[in-house]
Amino acid sequence: MNNNILSQHAEVVYAQELEELKKQDSGHIPAMWNMSPQSVVLYLMGGKLKNGFEISPKYIGSRRLMEIAVATLTTDRALLLYGLPGTAKSWVSEHLAAAISGNSSLLIQGTAGTGEEAIRYGWNYAKLLAEGPSEGALVTTPLMKGMKDGKLVRIEELTRISADVQDTLITVLSEKTMPIPELNMEVQAVRGFNVIATANNRDKGVNELSAALKRRFNTVILPVPETAAEEADIVKRRVSSLSKNLELPAEIPALIEIQRVVKIFRELRSGVTEDGKIKIKSPSSTMSTAEAISVVNNGMALSAHFGNGVMNAHDIAAGLVGAIVKDPVQDKVVWKEYLETVVKPREDWKDIYRACKEIAL
Amino acid sequence: MTITILGIRHHGVGSATHVLQRLQEIQPDMIMIEGPPEITDVLKYVGHEGLVPPVSIMVYDQSEPKTSVFYPFSSFSPEWVAAEYANKNGLALRALDMPAAVNLQMKSDVITQVKVSSEQEEPDKNESDSPDADMFIQIAEAMEKRDPIYQLARHSGFENGEKWWDYHFERVHNHADAMTHFEAVHHSMSALREDNKEPNTDNDLREAYMRTYIRQARNEMYENIVVICGAWHGPALTDLDKYDKQDAKTIKSAPKTKIKVVATWIPWTNHRLSMYSGYGAGLSSPGWYQHLWESADDYDVTWLVKVAQTFRSKQMDISSAHVIETSRLAHTLAALRNKSTITLDELNEATLAVMCMGDEVKLQYINQELTVADRIGSVPDDIPKVPIQEDFEKTIKTLRLPLLPHDKQYDLDLRKDGDLQRSILLHRLELLDIPWGKRTSVRTKGTFKESWVLHWKPEIIVGLIDKSYLGNTIEQAAVSLVQEESSKTTHINVLSELIVKVIPAELFDLVQPLLDKIHGLSAISADIVDLMKAIPSLVEIGRYGNVRNTDTTLVITVVRNLLTRVFIGLPNACYGLDETHSEQMFSLISKVNESIKLIEDSDQSVEWYKTLWFIAHKDGIHPLIIGCVSRLLLDAGQFTDEEAETSMSLALSTANPPMDVAYWLEGFLSGSGMILLYDARLWNLLYKWVESLDTETFQEQLPFLRRSFSKFEYGERRQIGEKAKKGIIDTPKQNTDISTENFDHQRAASVFPILRILMGNKSM
Repeated sequence: MNNNILSQHAEVVYAQELEELKKQDSGHIPAMWNMSPQSVVLYLMGGKLKNGFEISPKYIGSRRLMEIAVATLTTDRALLLYGLPGTAKSWVSEHLAAAISGNSSLLIQGTAGTGEEAIRYGWNYAKLLAEGPSEGALVTTPLMKGMKDGKLVRIEELTRISADVQDTLITVLSEKTMPIPELNMEVQAVRGFNVIATANNRDKGVNELSAALKRRFNTVILPVPETAAEEADIVKRRVSSLSKNLELPAEIPALIEIQRVVKIFRELRSGVTEDGKIKIKSPSSTMSTAEAISVVNNGMALSAHFGNGVMNAHDIAAGLVGAIVKDPVQDKVVWKEYLETVVKPREDWKDIYRACKEIAL
Repeated sequence: MTITILGIRHHGVGSATHVLQRLQEIQPDMIMIEGPPEITDVLKYVGHEGLVPPVSIMVYDQSEPKTSVFYPFSSFSPEWVAAEYANKNGLALRALDMPAAVNLQMKSDVITQVKVSSEQEEPDKNESDSPDADMFIQIAEAMEKRDPIYQLARHSGFENGEKWWDYHFERVHNHADAMTHFEAVHHSMSALREDNKEPNTDNDLREAYMRTYIRQARNEMYENIVVICGAWHGPALTDLDKYDKQDAKTIKSAPKTKIKVVATWIPWTNHRLSMYSGYGAGLSSPGWYQHLWESADDYDVTWLVKVAQTFRSKQMDISSAHVIETSRLAHTLAALRNKSTITLDELNEATLAVMCMGDEVKLQYINQELTVADRIGSVPDDIPKVPIQEDFEKTIKTLRLPLLPHDKQYDLDLRKDGDLQRSILLHRLELLDIPWGKRTSVRTKGTFKESWVLHWKPEIIVGLIDKSYLGNTIEQAAVSLVQEESSKTTHINVLSELIVKVIPAELFDLVQPLLDKIHGLSAISADIVDLMKAIPSLVEIGRYGNVRNTDTTLVITVVRNLLTRVFIGLPNACYGLDETHSEQMFSLISKVNESIKLIEDSDQSVEWYKTLWFIAHKDGIHPLIIGCVSRLLLDAGQFTDEEAETSMSLALSTANPPMDVAYWLEGFLSGSGMILLYDARLWNLLYKWVESLDTETFQEQLPFLRRSFSKFEYGERRQIGEKAKKGIIDTPKQNTDISTENFDHQRAASVFPILRILMGNKSM
């Protein structure tokens, strides 16, 4: 294992957990799966194994949703994780792939420029010219590889791919086969193959899925965390695991600081203060949990490299303002109003108020 | 002689299936079901063709029908199934429980105790006087409290008692032997009762009665008795002789009662069944249980087909492939959770993921239409009822107004006799405070249209029975209610409201006495506000009442009387009012002014404007009212130009306290800024006044001015703003008589034909 990798794949980071789960597994294991569906759910939700080994929770939220997701993958329907940006869609998809196939690297990133050749197959033109159409001249994609090996394939941001390219997935998902007319052959999917796609419903300019493609997916909407305590827990866990990855020397911040960030995010997102007494405007940014995590991380980095190693209000402020004020005109007003009407009157928030005021917008 | 106890859960489908199976095996000669003995008589109707569940037995105190208890049944209730079986096979059928009379007596004792203690502490608070809907909730809560299965569920890690019981005992299609089923129930309940020995006098008393009734049946030489009761009571009923003496003692301790109770059937709704979540565990989904009860082993597939059909009826594209995929996902989910049968949870979650694209909102359709599936039961005519209820049912049948458990709108055209009769009935019910229909606004114009939304709820019958003391028909009851209320009140305002309600209810005999009473009261009443409140509604009747062929001259006479008193008393009533009262007076004056315009009686309007003029020139009246009457006078052309200018400049003069000016403006502008746009004089005066304010005073006044200006239309405000940019407007002595020297009359007349078409022929 190369220790200098910035962000390890889930199956590497949680190799031990996966190994223990496999050892303890007593359920029925679907063909080409690494473990039983029950164990996959356990891996995602966390819990204790019979031998006392502790599995850390990967997804904090409704168990019901994870059960639907795992159950979907055992059928021949693909899974679509849908939701606001930063609601752990990619995170869940990575862990599902890691637990089920032991490989979360078969990934297609969807963008407006993703072409058919990135999804089905491309050609090595030098070889194509030299040898003519042959299997050797074929450039395989993660999708084709997953079909051949019987693994899960992840497609990130499915709705950003243009509609005609999206529809190339229909044959693959319904017939489980990918024809290569140039070679007069086809690639047939092996058991264990399936697709996990993610898509967000907030961005403008997304390409709505066609009805035909929609029908090939079971949809699970991942919601924003229900309670403040749940959200604070998510941020804390993610920050501690990221700091391991990034080797941040600062101390894991006190829960109190995280709670404060989460509170600010929740209030701005919902447009009302936690006690329900003051109405506030919401900024144009999504204020997702993922952003809260990055604010805390940012703060830790600042305190580690430029401060005393203990995260304080000043370290958070910069990241906070950056995450909230995305539109320099509208959001600035929203943020200032929030600072003056909500943050300022809070007795124990004086430090963060001053820190934020210092950052001239 | 054998006695078999079958412990059930009320409304449990699985229980019902097993009860039926056991009854067929045992072939009893006497069936006893849980319920007060007073309902034994009406139980014989179960199985009657016209009695369609959901229905409920209502047991009420004859002298006070509001104190009542309900025993709802659905077609899958075990008690219903057992009663149906008994009636079909001609078996003896009885109810066993504490008598309802005792129960009601105990309740009323508690209420009076509460009343007494609360009266001692806080004499103003009258909490026991709760409205109907609360009554249902109270019952539900009380029942939840005594559900002991919650404890058992908590021990075995289930979310709540319902889910535990459901999982273990209510699986319809598990083909378990009925006898072992009831044995298992008996054992778990015995174990629970062992653990839970807290004295519960209520329960002890009920069980004492139950045992007594079983002994009684045994002594009557019935050979094979089956008792169907809540599972909890089961273990207490097995050893009859052990408790013989003790029971006699317990029953003696029960409160003595003279309450006479009556039991009758009333229609119930699925929605109401689902509200009893404490009592009828699992009934958050009566539609689902109904489906389970009616369908065979393939209940999951047939359910999903129903789901698909519901979605299709809502214009959502759902193919058979969707149904197949949903069913597969539901099966996989159940397997993942180690459940041997598919429950509603799995089906709903699979539907959500496959058919709804994860969108919970769409799942709501299924909840409303299938899971709760709002149905309403019906009760046949030949079951004895309270006279007023019979009258009600007869009337709605002839008027073809069905009882529906959801909103239905009726647009009534009062020129048609059928619609008129419907309207009369609905107005009478409204008078009786029976909230079946709600008036909604009509889209078309004209007084001959009425729009009602009807929504049936079981408490409507309760309300009806409660009003039965007022008379035997709806009409009689409405009349006595109005008479009762009019004799109680001394407010003209209340009387005029009664008249307003009485006329559309066509209780014309009441109009004369009510008017007489108003007449009498107005002579002695010193309350001008009360008089003024009554006027607008009376004028409206006088003006429009003839749609219903009523004689309205009487009303007009009364209105004249009232007006005369108002003319005299108003100036004094306006004197020395504070801000809030001035605002109230302001709106009353505006309303009466509208009424004066409606009457179109020149004598009255002359008097009215005289009064207003007097107010405008009287000292000590709030500037808000002065502003208001000045505006009314100006609009009515009662001010000459000079008078208008004087009064305006007087009001807007800089010497006045700025606060007063702001109030005056609010009254004067009364929510419309048009006058500022076309009257240059007023504009200039206002402009100068604003200019004269120093910065500090201006800022002080800003909120008040903003208040009156914010009521204007957006367009008006914009125009005013634009006008303000230009500043003072030169008024070259507003020449109204524009010179007609070079006016070409013929040419001007040529536009009239087109104008006439544009404005609609009739209006010109």
